[in-house]
Amino acid sequence: MADAVTPSPEPANPAGHDGAEGGAEGTDGKANSAGRAGGATGADTAGYGPQAVHSWQKANTSIDQVIAALPELRKEASGREAGTRTAVMTLVMVSSGEDDLEDFVASVRSLGAHHPCRVVLLQPDPDSTPTIDASACLWRAQPPEGAEHPVFFEEIRLRVGGQAASHLASIVSPFVLADLPALMWFPWELPSPTDPLLGIASALLVDTRDVGPAAAVIGHAYRTLLELSNHRPVVDLSWVRLQPWRELLAGLFVPEHNRAFLGGINQATVTGKPGPRHMLGGWLMAQLDLRARELVLQDAKHVDITLEADVADQHGTFHVHRDDRTRAVWATANVEGGPSHSQALPLPDDSLTSALGAAISNLRADRVWERALAAAATLAS
Amino acid sequence: MSAGATTAPPVNTLAEGLETVRRAPPGVLVVFGASGDLTHRKLLPALERLSRRRLLPAAFAVIGVARTEMSDDGFRDLMSDAVPDAGPGWGEIVKNSVYIAGEYAHPDTFSALQDRLKDIDEALGTGGNRTYYLATIPEMFGEVAKALGKVGLNQPETGGSARLVIEKPFGRDRSTARELDTTLHEVFEEEQIYRIDHYLGKETVQNVLALRFANAIFEPLWTRNYIDHVQVTVAETVGVEKRGSFYETAGALRDIVQNHVMQVLSLTLMEPPSSTDAEGLRGEKVKALRSVVIPNAGEIPNVAVRAQYDSGWVEGNSVPGYRQEDGVSPQSQTETFVALKLAVDNWRWAGVPIYVRTGKRLPKRVTEVALQFKEVPHLAFPKEAALGLHPNALVMRIQPDEGVTLRFGAKVPGQAFMVRDVLMDFSYGAAFLEEPPDAYERLLLDAMVGDPTLFIRSDEVDTAWGIVQPLLDAWAKGDAPLAGYAAGSWGPRPAETLIERDGRKWRTP
Repeated sequence: MADAVTPSPEPANPAGHDGAEGGAEGTDGKANSAGRAGGATGADTAGYGPQAVHSWQKANTSIDQVIAALPELRKEASGREAGTRTAVMTLVMVSSGEDDLEDFVASVRSLGAHHPCRVVLLQPDPDSTPTIDASACLWRAQPPEGAEHPVFFEEIRLRVGGQAASHLASIVSPFVLADLPALMWFPWELPSPTDPLLGIASALLVDTRDVGPAAAVIGHAYRTLLELSNHRPVVDLSWVRLQPWRELLAGLFVPEHNRAFLGGINQATVTGKPGPRHMLGGWLMAQLDLRARELVLQDAKHVDITLEADVADQHGTFHVHRDDRTRAVWATANVEGGPSHSQALPLPDDSLTSALGAAISNLRADRVWERALAAAATLAS
Repeated sequence: MSAGATTAPPVNTLAEGLETVRRAPPGVLVVFGASGDLTHRKLLPALERLSRRRLLPAAFAVIGVARTEMSDDGFRDLMSDAVPDAGPGWGEIVKNSVYIAGEYAHPDTFSALQDRLKDIDEALGTGGNRTYYLATIPEMFGEVAKALGKVGLNQPETGGSARLVIEKPFGRDRSTARELDTTLHEVFEEEQIYRIDHYLGKETVQNVLALRFANAIFEPLWTRNYIDHVQVTVAETVGVEKRGSFYETAGALRDIVQNHVMQVLSLTLMEPPSSTDAEGLRGEKVKALRSVVIPNAGEIPNVAVRAQYDSGWVEGNSVPGYRQEDGVSPQSQTETFVALKLAVDNWRWAGVPIYVRTGKRLPKRVTEVALQFKEVPHLAFPKEAALGLHPNALVMRIQPDEGVTLRFGAKVPGQAFMVRDVLMDFSYGAAFLEEPPDAYERLLLDAMVGDPTLFIRSDEVDTAWGIVQPLLDAWAKGDAPLAGYAAGSWGPRPAETLIERDGRKWRTP
């Protein structure tokens, strides 16, 4: 390898963002060992996060050189324990240099002990000089609960300038680990369904919470997602965050007596922010065969679902709501003259790290989500 | 759908896509021995964790039954105290729960239970689903079962379920185990009885199944053609702690070998089941245990060693000998260590000895199953080049540091052609996000869901007792000497001899 790997105190960041790592821009720097991933983002600040063991960076480099640097990183890392890469997938992130980039990267990194991924961060910049600036870092994460073996995983950053920025699939393909899923994530915008980069993706990660506040934008985004989901599984972080609400509501209808009310729903009210309330509304429409006029969507800070139903002479109210005082989500079934019960659960962790962890545990197509999305697209039009 | 329609959908359509997570149906958990230690330390915390993981339904309650006088509110306080850092969902379960004070054999206790169950069904919609958990002393199992039967609580309500959960020991020997079974079967069908060996609730014990039957590369090697012998080690560093008087009546053979070792062994030896449903799996486990050769009295001195720990040093601490422990007789003949050589008479394992070793006050806490492969038929390298090479070994580490290790030979880098052992080490803790559920949590949920796969069937209990019964009989007659071993050692010299006379050695886990 032309560029020796040497220690330095910070993990490399070829794009020179002032992010958590605050890395030096595109030097021939040879990077760094045993430095804690510093900065103000993610789990690292708590002192328990992964540590950068060794890193490497080079401006105006080639893909061959980056590939050659990876085994060197593992060799050069000191100590007997280093050298064994653990990975359950390749995670490819595409960024245009957004301000919160390092927050996202830190969230991915903090999954390291549980979902070690080879992370490839692509930063296309077609208007800049036609070079590739690269960095690679070997991270060490200690599994929780006193497990004996740490986990090592790699993070590769590629700033791609010039025409090559329009051919990212050719850049990233050599870095995709064989025999493991490749998850593609565009955290800041939805890709075009014709983007060639999607050709190497075994699944696509999205977040419908962030597609925009305007109904027309939401509707367009949902239709794009439907098209994207025709070709590969799409995993929606927002849908993952909403799962506790869906589980709680569904759980109210497990008792046979209550289940009868699913056939008698005359009004469903969903409150929440744009995006989550549309998805939950779409879900209720699709799963309960409701008409749009039986569904009320209202703007609110937090999600709240109420179903009103009549069966024979009985009226039932089924309610899932958040209670900030008890820091809990409550699910309550009240049936006039019948059994009633309630259940409370701690407020779910809605952090990006938690949602990512749950999302990448299950990279399958979700037909229920697709139906909810299709119905939500009509609600947002 | 129009407003006011009354036709109920056939299924809970809102649950579609969420079924991959098993959740308990609405129901009531009736705990006998509710004021006791097991309830406080294990059952209630396990229930709370299930609640926190969203695996319990809203329509759920606990009925505590015990002799101790206590009000409903007193029991609710006990439930709250058992889980001081409980999540908000626990409060709802506590609120729904009630307590009955009474004798286990008295009809009033059970008529009160009937009334409470009816009230809860009406108020919460628990649908007649009842799980009776016997956290009492084993001597009460039969009494409680019979009393439930007298008031008809052994019979499921229409559309509901009635299940009985009991925990080991299932008898003190084969005869008393059969008596217990007869009593239980007078009242409950076998399908209603859930016998817990918490070892089976351990994630890593279940991983033995995953390793064997979810991978094509291991199972073809899992035969007498390639395996020289098997070693099962269940080692504890602890002594008898506060259980001295109990342990005096049990010993390592009853406490560990008859249940935990036999369960791990059956999963290791069994044939591939056609499915991992309850009957498929348990049927194959029983077949494997039935293939274990039961030693006759004359063979026992050559295939079994029993021993008791003396004083010594464990993990840097000076510890007393077994006979100096609280509640232990100074003349005790109870074994704290057992080493066995078992044979298995079937097509897969004929001629492959199974060495079992379990004991207290050993140097390291470890449970593992090691498959020691045969040597290569011909070593192509000079003998001096392979001095560091040993036969391959596949080790399933059950606790702690759960994982799988494969030992194989590799060339030492350099000009010379030298080969030596290397380990390929897989650690479960480094590969999965979820903290595995506690064994009680898993088994409680299984019982409430009605999945008996990880519970022990009557014929498994009987077959396992059949294997150890000749040893119990011989040792009771004093036919085998009781060896001593220093606390902190890997057991007595006769245990070494047991395996060395076959030209083999115990592993050092």
